[in-house]
Amino acid sequence: MRLFIGASKGPKAKVDWADLIGRVASHGDRAAFKRLFEHFAPRIKGLMQRAGCSSDEAEEIAQNAMIAVWRKASLFDPATAGAAAWIFTIARNLRIDLFRRRARADRLRADSELPDAPDPAEPADAAISRVQDAARIEAAIKQLSTEQSMVVRLSFIEERTHPEIASLLGIPLGTVKSRIRLAMNRLRDILDEEA
Amino acid sequence: MTISHHPPEDLLADFAAGKLEEAHQLVVGVHVAGCTRCARFVQAIEQLAGATLEDFEPVPIAPDAFDRVMSRIDNSPEDEAAPPPASATDHDLPPALRKYRIGKRRRIAPGLSMRPIELSGSGKARAFLLRSAPGSRMLEHTHTGTELTLVLEGSFSHEGGRFGPGDFDYGDDEIEHRPVVGDEGPCVCLVAMTGDLRMNGFLGRLIGPFVRL
Repeated sequence: MRLFIGASKGPKAKVDWADLIGRVASHGDRAAFKRLFEHFAPRIKGLMQRAGCSSDEAEEIAQNAMIAVWRKASLFDPATAGAAAWIFTIARNLRIDLFRRRARADRLRADSELPDAPDPAEPADAAISRVQDAARIEAAIKQLSTEQSMVVRLSFIEERTHPEIASLLGIPLGTVKSRIRLAMNRLRDILDEEA
Repeated sequence: MTISHHPPEDLLADFAAGKLEEAHQLVVGVHVAGCTRCARFVQAIEQLAGATLEDFEPVPIAPDAFDRVMSRIDNSPEDEAAPPPASATDHDLPPALRKYRIGKRRRIAPGLSMRPIELSGSGKARAFLLRSAPGSRMLEHTHTGTELTLVLEGSFSHEGGRFGPGDFDYGDDEIEHRPVVGDEGPCVCLVAMTGDLRMNGFLGRLIGPFVRL
């Protein structure tokens, strides 16, 4: 449990993750990396398990994601993405790759004759051109009500079902559906206005 | 390129969360790569995902996880994460598509051909490039599943409007399509489809038994 010291400081102690990633990038700062690791690795594992990975798969993704954080630290640009969002996208892409590799392996086991399939090790292409600045995106999100951002996070990121969300928040199922819809439309509108 | 038809927000959010099956992720991804408006939306969802991750309830990880990670970093400092670019034989295809193996062109009907895109097989939907001749009236058809279509070249029009390069069309089994291809040139679309395409009408019934899109 030693790993969770970071969390015990309480939610108020906001750490500047972007600064730590910058230190990893500029001089391979191991202490900075360790702090990133201790905070994010157990949470990546938790979120991946929440999203349907086995404990072993989630562990593998968490470790590989942190290795990618080390190796790609110099590519992180705090002006275009938040640090936690950047780490999320790394873990997400690893999960997509893992599911595809697993499917491919299952299929190859099923087929007796092995086709010369293309190399499956290509990273999932969920990357998009980062044209927006992170501060403006952040400002747009802040305009959502707490309730709205909560349902979006529960539904899309934590991948909870609508009935689950209804019981978690103590609201009727119909309200969950309409709140998600409203939140999505509102986010679209805010972002369109900002453009 | 003026894009006027976008994917629904929940599809974009699922894309950002990494929840879409491969064919759908491919089609939405190619749209997002060319659409600033949707890229912004996806980034906003990623930002919310980052906040979720940052506050998520931690679970215990392997006691030696940090040491294992450091030893892997120390033993192979090279960046393995840069695969050589795939043989880009189709220069006119969007970059996101170039790394996929794309099959030979198959003629389906007069003025209509398709090239299957090889996926990992993790999902139910298939992906293919559909090419139709300028001015052709495509077969009247309905779907047994969902269909995501992204125009890469040319245009088509149907009850829902005109769809040009970058435009995204979402069809499900509720919708009957009778698209007409624009006169300006052939229309090339990237399509992700679950279920079968059902050809309606006389021509459809005639060739239907031979078509399994």
